[in-house]
Amino acid sequence: MKLQMVGCSHHSASLAMRERLAFSPIQAGEALDRWRLRYPAAEAVLLSTCNRVEIYTAWDTGTNGPDHQQVAEFLAEYHGIDLGAIFDDLFEQSGEAAVRHLFTVAASLDSMVLGEPQILAQVKEAYQLAQQHESVGPLTHEMFQAALRVAKRVSAETSIHRRRVSVASVAVADFARDIFDRFDDKQVLVIGAGEMGEEALRYLRDEGARQLTTINRSPEKAEAMAEQFAGRAAPWDQLDELLVAADLVVSTTGATEPIVTLERFQRIEPRRYQRPLLILDLAVPRDFEPAIGDCLGVYLYSIDDLEAVCQRNRRKRDDELPAAIAIIEDETQRFMDDLHHRATGPIVERLRASWQNVRDQELDRLFNKLPDLSQPERDEIRRSFERYVNKMLHPPLEQLRDDSRHGHPHGLLEALKRLFHLRD
Amino acid sequence: MAGITTLCFAASYGVALVLELARLGWRSPVRNALAFGFAAAGLVAQSLYLGYRAATAESVPLASAYEWYLLAAWALVAVYLCLSAMQPSIASGVFILPVALALVAAARYASRQAVAEKSAADVWIAIHATCWLLGAVAVSVGFATGVMYLLQAYRLKHKLPPLAGFRLPSLEWLERANGRAIVISALMAGAGLASGVVLNLVKHKLPWSDATVWRSVGFFSWLLAAALFSALYRPARRGRKMAYLTVASFVFLAIFLTAQLSGNSEHEPSAEVGREMAQKSRPTVAACIGGAPHWPTSLRFAGQWHPALAPRLLPLTPRPSASWEAVL
Repeated sequence: MKLQMVGCSHHSASLAMRERLAFSPIQAGEALDRWRLRYPAAEAVLLSTCNRVEIYTAWDTGTNGPDHQQVAEFLAEYHGIDLGAIFDDLFEQSGEAAVRHLFTVAASLDSMVLGEPQILAQVKEAYQLAQQHESVGPLTHEMFQAALRVAKRVSAETSIHRRRVSVASVAVADFARDIFDRFDDKQVLVIGAGEMGEEALRYLRDEGARQLTTINRSPEKAEAMAEQFAGRAAPWDQLDELLVAADLVVSTTGATEPIVTLERFQRIEPRRYQRPLLILDLAVPRDFEPAIGDCLGVYLYSIDDLEAVCQRNRRKRDDELPAAIAIIEDETQRFMDDLHHRATGPIVERLRASWQNVRDQELDRLFNKLPDLSQPERDEIRRSFERYVNKMLHPPLEQLRDDSRHGHPHGLLEALKRLFHLRD
Repeated sequence: MAGITTLCFAASYGVALVLELARLGWRSPVRNALAFGFAAAGLVAQSLYLGYRAATAESVPLASAYEWYLLAAWALVAVYLCLSAMQPSIASGVFILPVALALVAAARYASRQAVAEKSAADVWIAIHATCWLLGAVAVSVGFATGVMYLLQAYRLKHKLPPLAGFRLPSLEWLERANGRAIVISALMAGAGLASGVVLNLVKHKLPWSDATVWRSVGFFSWLLAAALFSALYRPARRGRKMAYLTVASFVFLAIFLTAQLSGNSEHEPSAEVGREMAQKSRPTVAACIGGAPHWPTSLRFAGQWHPALAPRLLPLTPRPSASWEAVL
């Protein structure tokens, strides 16, 4: 059995190269169909995300599978790129290393943002797509099922996935969700139209935020953002009124001075009746005067506050990395042991059958020559032959099991095949 | 079942509490399951214990102060199990289980004498005790959610990341829970007080000047004021004030229960007085043979000796079917 992975990732290839090699879901399906026509005996799963394009292949030892060069040619040919232009950006892993790599990828330990949760879903989708296009076989099936299980184990036994490391995700997951129970009935006010604000809004939308108002000194920008997030735009002079009604404010203007001073906020504060207000001030310089954070019911976070939490989370993630790697190693070893054990199964079976065949022939010959033997005597002789065969087979089979456990049974398998004339 | 003691379920709750506290260092679904399992086992043991006491009671079942404390602890653990089943990641046990354990410990100092005899007033006694029980449970749950609110608000104000494995509910959820705890506790305390007044009017046993009456009125007044304050003054409906109100209510409840345990009231005897009374009320063999024992009137112990009990009271611990008549 051969396992192989050929591809590129953010470690080996530039964004431009990854973009050229990327597959949309439709293209991936098409590519898998072509693969099956070209290499019918080789299983394949194609994983294509914004950070990596990887083809996992597997085939039985007796059949011919594509090597590194052939997979690279396949990729280049599909995208209409010269092989020479991509060859240096591709890397290859085979056997145990390929399994370890897939487990590491699925557990999000190889991601650009360590522990990001999307990769597991992407691995699952890649596997399902390969299933739909019938390019999955027993080896890749086992490998991907194990990868999903390993990712879940890493997630359950370490806190790598629970540590957010982007400002917007920290703002929403670590703070907003601990203030509000639900977001669909909350008034979200977006001041300005910065990129960070857009990212925060995407997270808030995912959490269920629906009542969105955008406000900007430039009404066109406010309207464009409102349209993008299915909200409504409001004129700049309504800022105070909107602050009274808001539950959550995301501010990302490019103003050089705070747009909401403590004095201004104190004027509207009594009308809020101390209702909780979460302010995500993602602007530099800040849009809200820091002293506003001391007001009752106000939770004010600047970009520095959120970045500090991100840094802390990154450190904590790094601390958890050894435990996650240990899980990957453990699972890789277990997978390879199972694989080798299964690889030796057919040979062991054939060897036993061959010896039992010889035993039966000899017994028949003996019983024909000694027809006066009673049934108990025949049974005793039969048992004796049985024990003899088992004792003779025990040392080579034990040695084969040992080699399987250590991951290199192929030499012994070959030797057994040749010594005992075992044919596939 | 007779072998179950308070130590059995208190130990189960204690282990569950330790497992809840271990959240910070041991993050595993196994820990959650173990904490839940120990608390559930304790609850089953406590249910059997209370069921056995109710089944073997010679007077009104579960009518002593001792059992009232145990029932309150039982209800709190049931609340913990519900919360834990709905949201296993929330560290609710850290805040609820200590209160439940404190109630089990307090039960040790409470009188085991039933406060009532079987009579037509049973229904009022049941309403009275149940309402105060639910009120106390609501105040205790409010205390737990109030403390959680203050901790969560502190974390958010100081921009600290959440502790892994030690999640608390959102401020919005806690604020809602605190508001409900205040309203429910005021309603239950009001109903408990009103049923107590009716009971006293029916049975006329407790002087209106008794300390328990004034303590009850004082405690109810506080809860009512807190509920009205939060209903009429809009900023008081907001988290932190609501949390302070629930924590203060719990402090009042603790003072109230401590004063009750001191036993300077005719509402119920303290454990010591109860024991003394039980000692004095223990009939002698001669008395059992000869007729009704003499009960000390100074303790207002109004039980009557029943000759039918004599044969089973003849062994070493004769226990009269008599009980405290002074209900309030």
